[in-house]
This record gives sequence, structure tokens and C-alpha cells, in this order.
Amino acid sequence: MSKLLEVKGLKTHFHMHGYTVRAVDGVDFDLNSGETLGIVGESGCGKSQTSMSIMRLVPDPPGKIEAGEVLFKGTDLLKLSDVEMRKVRGNNVSMIFQEPMTSLNPVYSVGYQISEVLMLHRDMTKEEAMKESARLLGLVGMSDPEERVNEYPFQLSGGLRQRAMIAIAMACEPDIMIADEPTTALDVTIQAQILKLMSDLKARTGTSIMFITHDLAVIASFADRVMVMYAGVVVEQSSMRDIFKKPLHPYTQGLLGSIPVLGEVKRNTDGSRRLLNAIAGSLPDHRNFPKGCRFAPRCNKVMSKCWEAEPALVHTEEGHQVRCFLYNDDVQETPAYQEAKAAQGLLRRKRRASAAGETR
Amino acid sequence: MNDTLLKVVGLRKSFPVKASAFSSKTLGLKAVDGVNLELKRGETLGLVGESGCGKTTVGRCLLRLYEPDTGRVYLDPDDQIVSEVFEMDAEREALNGELQELDAQPTKTQADKARIKSLKRDISANRAQADERAKTTDLLSMDRKLLKANRRRVQMVFQDPWASLNPHMVVKDIIGEGPKEYGTHVGQDLDRWVMELLEKVGLPPQAANRYPHEFSGGQRQRIGIARALALTPSLIVCDEPVSALDVSIQAQILNLLISLQDDFNLTFVFIAHDLSVVQYISDRVAVMYLGKVVETAPAQQLYANPRHPYTISLLSAVPVADPDHPNELRPPEGDVPSPVNPPSGCTFHPRCSYKTDVCTQIVPALEKDQDGHVIACHNPPNG
Repeated sequence: MSKLLEVKGLKTHFHMHGYTVRAVDGVDFDLNSGETLGIVGESGCGKSQTSMSIMRLVPDPPGKIEAGEVLFKGTDLLKLSDVEMRKVRGNNVSMIFQEPMTSLNPVYSVGYQISEVLMLHRDMTKEEAMKESARLLGLVGMSDPEERVNEYPFQLSGGLRQRAMIAIAMACEPDIMIADEPTTALDVTIQAQILKLMSDLKARTGTSIMFITHDLAVIASFADRVMVMYAGVVVEQSSMRDIFKKPLHPYTQGLLGSIPVLGEVKRNTDGSRRLLNAIAGSLPDHRNFPKGCRFAPRCNKVMSKCWEAEPALVHTEEGHQVRCFLYNDDVQETPAYQEAKAAQGLLRRKRRASAAGETR
Repeated sequence: MNDTLLKVVGLRKSFPVKASAFSSKTLGLKAVDGVNLELKRGETLGLVGESGCGKTTVGRCLLRLYEPDTGRVYLDPDDQIVSEVFEMDAEREALNGELQELDAQPTKTQADKARIKSLKRDISANRAQADERAKTTDLLSMDRKLLKANRRRVQMVFQDPWASLNPHMVVKDIIGEGPKEYGTHVGQDLDRWVMELLEKVGLPPQAANRYPHEFSGGQRQRIGIARALALTPSLIVCDEPVSALDVSIQAQILNLLISLQDDFNLTFVFIAHDLSVVQYISDRVAVMYLGKVVETAPAQQLYANPRHPYTISLLSAVPVADPDHPNELRPPEGDVPSPVNPPSGCTFHPRCSYKTDVCTQIVPALEKDQDGHVIACHNPPNG
């Protein structure tokens, strides 16, 4: 498998009045061709902003991509001009958003919104594009697509709107499709229909998918590889199986313990109710992350060094990465850490100098 | 005292909707269409279904936050009263049917008109009589005074912790409002009670003097739970209490509800769309579809062996967080039909793969089968 997308040290910060929100704070990952990468995390962990940064859709100001590289087939998307970037969006990399109502334009027909992409990237005439739009709507499972192309978003139900969104995203058969919580606003039955549709399309076109969700069950049914994010950083990354069967990071373990699994026994042997293994506390304040590991205040395996430095994301075995001192002592070389290190060195030098002075 | 805490009989509620944006004609959207439920003391009844199936409306009708059209909601039902009222209601239903038939005739004879008049008189007399008989235990026909006395026994936890707390009030006033109104705790005693509740729901005592906006979603939901507990109710209706919360916070709130249930001897109606959550917390689960209950069964059984075709397809649409699970999603085809104009017969028949001719014509009744499932289906699969 070849690497289609490489994200290196991506940092997206939001400069608000008087403070900075470090929404994405050093994210590294790869996406191979034909692969589905699931990105899981709770609200505010930076999963959506990661995808927005890849598409360069971060509202600027207040947001700003501070550092990093997003290499798509070797070219850095962050260095492209706006015109060049526009050729990538919808053509090579496309996106499906969470709210199908707010992300479709209410004053244009569904067909027009699909043909827009085709006319721009495929140089089709309006008639050709409309015809192609109808074919695409049929492909995403809409009945009577020839009539539906002329309908407006308000005439469609939530599930159908999401299908239309997928048709727009698939129109140019992109290499990468980023799906940002595409099923969160939908009922389970409609969610299942959409998931099925997406995996059918993937099997047919071989598109790589970045699937962003907070629902671990959806990940289990859909992803090949999983990346768990917490407070702007990746804390664990591995194959889908390993995340569920051999979770390493205490946060991943906590997330898995927090969800009730369908069909699981819920009473202990003595008849008392089995409680969920919830994670204590809540997400840290974005303005002010803990100095050491960001999960330390909620972690049940916290050690003294967790408070002092941030662990680095390290390979433990083939394809499994984790950011935790339980498995490795490597420290993330953050600016704050380097500053502290430098200060320590300075202190040591001072002390040595003063000691030398005394002996003299 | 018998061990049934709540009995809901024939609950109906419809909302007027405009036929179209520019029309003055209104149609009835049947949100709840003849729901019967029964809750034992200390039990948790889960209410599941897709959006628009009427589960929230049922919850709200139990508290009279919506005024139901017809039906009975008995708190501590007396079997004698329930059966007597049931007969009277059935009789009235029959009279109503006759009245509608006569009314629908294009030309009415003198005799018909007289009959209509007498039917109307009988119906209103019957209704007054039934309400009079039911009023000691039926929340819907109680007079104001009795209703107020009983209202404190049924409380609610709302879905949206951002919208359900008054932003102008500090937490101690939010929690203390009920006890103050009912005079169960006053002065220092009230302060002590609020502190105790805060501790029970896992909030620090300093929270008492702060405003809702100072709290996170999970903490706000804890405040909402403390408010619901303040009058030591017997029944709490939890309307999607965790759906607005993050996964890790959701688990904390579920654990809290379970431990409070044991501490306060509570009965829950737990409304949610997340089937895994409902299965986890409920003893029994009722599945709703288009305003009707289609299947009720003990939670474990419902998930292990669903009987109604809708329950089967609903469960097969739920992804399971386990890579060893086959996770072949087999959702029902199509969308939920509009409740303004529901399909004839069994409302699920357009999406059902087991349908027969009878399903399109006759509404199936709820019947108990040998495994203790109560289902409304003419042609249940596997048996």
C-alpha cells in the first residue's frame, strides 16, 4: 500500500481575544490508498479541525495553520496557492459534512449543486453535468433520480440529503473522501443505510476514506485503521482490531469502558448492577492544557512524571502507536519542554559557575 | 399497595399541522396513537424508536407537559377503578363510533338528528362519570389540588442541559424551587437538603451559588438530575438524558442514574434513541413506531430474540463496538412515513419484508406470546 496522504506536525491554533486555543497541536498520520481511517475522539479533541486544516477550510481569522505539512501524493497542500487548492478540493479530496441541511445550499436544486463540481473540474456542459448528476443520484440509491435532480434540499429527508452530499463528494471520483460525522444527525436505520452506501462506493471506486466520528461502534463496523485523538493530539493509532482488543492508552481503554455494548451482560454474578467504567472528570480547558500529559488529570494510571512532561507518540509494535509513559519514556519535545530543559541547563550551568566561584 | 406504579391506557395525542404553507386547513399529526404501558415499582422501562415515533410525546404526556387528547395515566392504580373506567371508556368509544357514522351521512332524517343529540348527551354524561370514578388515581382527570399533590411524585430530566436550566437562577434556587413551592423543606433545612442533593449527584458544595453557564454539559445534567430528585419523586421520566453528552460523560451520568435508583428507590421511564444505552439501563424495553408501541419485552430478551419485524430491522441497523461482531448492517428500506398520513393497517407494512395482505388492511393488536414478548404483528417471523 502506498501513502496517499501524509500529515506531519500539523498545528492549527485559534487566536481569540486574549487567549489562544490550540485545537490541533501537532498531529502526524498517514492515509494509505484504498484505506478507511477512523478518527475518534470526544467533542473538542480537534478531529474536525484536523480535517478542516487538510482541506484548508479553517476560518482565518481567528484560526491559523501554524505549522506542519499535508503531503498529498508528495505535494504540500498547505503551500499551494488558493487557485491551485481550489483544483484539489472536490476533485482530489472531497468532504462530507455532519449537517446535511446546513451544508447544502437551500436556494439551488440538488442537481445544480452536483453539476457545479462537474462543470468546474470535468469541463462538462450544463446539460451533460445534469445528466451525470442524475446518474450519480441513482448511484447513491435515490429512487427516480431524473426527477430528484430538480428538487431542492428542503424537499428531501435527512437521509436523502446526506445521499445527495455523498453524490457531490463522489462526483469527481476523488482519491480521498473526508467524512466528518456523516451519520451523527441521522437515525440508526438511516445511519446503517448511509454506512452501507459508503462501503459499497468504496469497494467500487477504491477511494480512501477519512471517517471522523465519536461513535466507536460505527468505527468497528467501518474502519480499517483507527486514530484516537484527545485534546488536540493523537494518543493512539493502530489497526481497528487492536484498538478494540488491545487498547494501550488509558484514554482509549476508558472510552471503550464507557460505552454499553449491545448484547452484553449487565448484571454481576451476585445480581447487582454492573456499572460502566467511566472516565472521571471532564476535558481540560483548551486555553490552558496541563503541562505534562494532557490526559493526566483524568487518568487512573497517572504517575509523577506524567505531570512534568508530555509523552511522545511512539511505535510499540508494527502499526501500533501510543502516546503514554506506561509503554515508553520518550518525551514529546514541545517548545515548553525545550524551554524548561534550557532553563534547567542554565540553572545547572549557573550553579556550576557559582560553585566554581566559591572554590576559587 | 400493589406493585404497579404507573399504568397508561389508550394514550393519544395529536398536534395540528397546516396542510401546506399557504393553506388554512389543518390536519392532525398523530404523535401518540393509543399507547398502553405498565411500570412496576423500581423498574426501568426503556422507550426506543426513531425520531418522530412519539417517544418524547409519551414522556411529556405522563407529566401533562402536553395535554393528551384521550387516555388514562394512573399513578398507583387501583385494579377495581381501572377496570370500571376501562369499561366506561370502551362504551363511550362505541357511542362515539356510532355518532361519527351518523354524522358522516350526507342527509340526516329527523330521527337521526334526535339520535345524534341523545348520543352526544350520553357521551358527555359517560365522560363525566368515568372521569369522576378515575379522578383519585388518574393524573389526567384529577382536579387542580389533587394534581398538584401528585405532581411532585413524577419528575423529569430533560435532553438538552443547555436549554433546561434557567440562566437567571443560581443552582441552589433551581434545585430548591420545588421543595420551596411544596414547603417540604424551609430555611436552613432547605439549604441542607440542597447540599445533600449536590453531594448525591457528585457536585461540589460551592456549586450551590453559581449560575448554570459556569458548568459543563455533564455537570448541568447533574444539576437537572438533582432538581428532579428534590421532591423525592417515585417516577422520573428521563428524556434522552445522555444524548447531548460526550461518551465519557455519558457513562458517568448513566452510572449516576443507576446508583440513584437504588438510593432513592426510583422508577424510571428512560427515553432514548441509542439502543445500546437503553439496553444497558432498562429492565424492560418498549419499541415505538409511528406513535404506537409495536413490541415490549424484558431488555435482555428483546435484544437476544426480537420478534417484531421492525425491532429486528432496528437492531440489525445498530453497529456494535466489537470487531468480532459480524456488523452486517441490514437496515429497513426507505424512510419513516409521515405521521400526518400514516399507512393503512399495520403502519410498518411498507418497509416490512414479512408483510401479507392482511397487514395492509387491519391494524394488528398487541398480543402476548409464549416468551413474554408483547407484539403487534399479524405475521411475526421465526414462529
